[in-house]
Amino acid sequence: MNSHPIKNSLGIFPKSWSEEHAGRIPGNIPIWVGILSELTEFGIFFAAYFIAKFYYPDTFTQGPQSLHTSLGVTNTIVLLSSSYFMAKAMSFIRVNNKIKCERYLWLALSCGVLYLIIKTWEFHWNTLQGFSANTNEFFTVYYYMTFNHFIHVGWASCAILWVIFRLRRGAYSSTEHSGLEALAVYWHMIDLMWILIFPLLYVLR
Amino acid sequence: MKHPIKLEYYLAALIVITLLNTFLGEKFSSTTLVSILIAITVTYKGFIVIDHFMELKGANKNLRFLMRLYFVIFPSLIIVSAFY
Repeated sequence: MNSHPIKNSLGIFPKSWSEEHAGRIPGNIPIWVGILSELTEFGIFFAAYFIAKFYYPDTFTQGPQSLHTSLGVTNTIVLLSSSYFMAKAMSFIRVNNKIKCERYLWLALSCGVLYLIIKTWEFHWNTLQGFSANTNEFFTVYYYMTFNHFIHVGWASCAILWVIFRLRRGAYSSTEHSGLEALAVYWHMIDLMWILIFPLLYVLR
Repeated sequence: MKHPIKLEYYLAALIVITLLNTFLGEKFSSTTLVSILIAITVTYKGFIVIDHFMELKGANKNLRFLMRLYFVIFPSLIIVSAFY
């Protein structure tokens, strides 16, 4: 937990939104501006999904049956595990155990890389089955959502590498770890988006 | 703040729910009941990650409200879409 309760609040929000009144902001304000922007972006994807499903119900009933469900389930478990590892890393930096913190960051990164490998394999498998973004409306939405999510996991994995580098350089401690926490909340946001994407594309018929 | 067993428990719950949802989707053609069950479990999964992994429980109440609202709105649309 950060020791300094009130950070610079940009001075543009009502006082009732301040950390003093509403509670501590995990990470920092800029990462939350980013997260809320990403949530808006994914929200538009989800809206597009529901609108397309309304107009093409049969295509969206058939679509999930064409996908490799096992790969989708595996990727869900991999991302949930990565979130767990990230939360463990946070718990260890709070007690200044940098060795265990780094170990869990490597585990989270491994999950991120494994996700990317599995997803690439899935895209390749789809191609072998003759599916592409132009196949039908379901696959257009599928590639729109999953490729965008893929990119997010990619750059967040690079961010984990950067945070590990910073941790080794002594940038984080039990009293100052806002940068690490900012990455953690961003990583969890990516996991949250997959929690919504998975049932929409792989489960609901 | 230490998480001795709790986080492991939540991870196990999330994985079990994921497998259950997949089973429901695979074994039962999309009935309204299945869609409602999946929507509720998606909301529950989101709340677990928001509160316990993201640690917004006990943190900023506005951010927690916004995040939880997101996981009420979109799962609700799953239920609405079941009636298409």
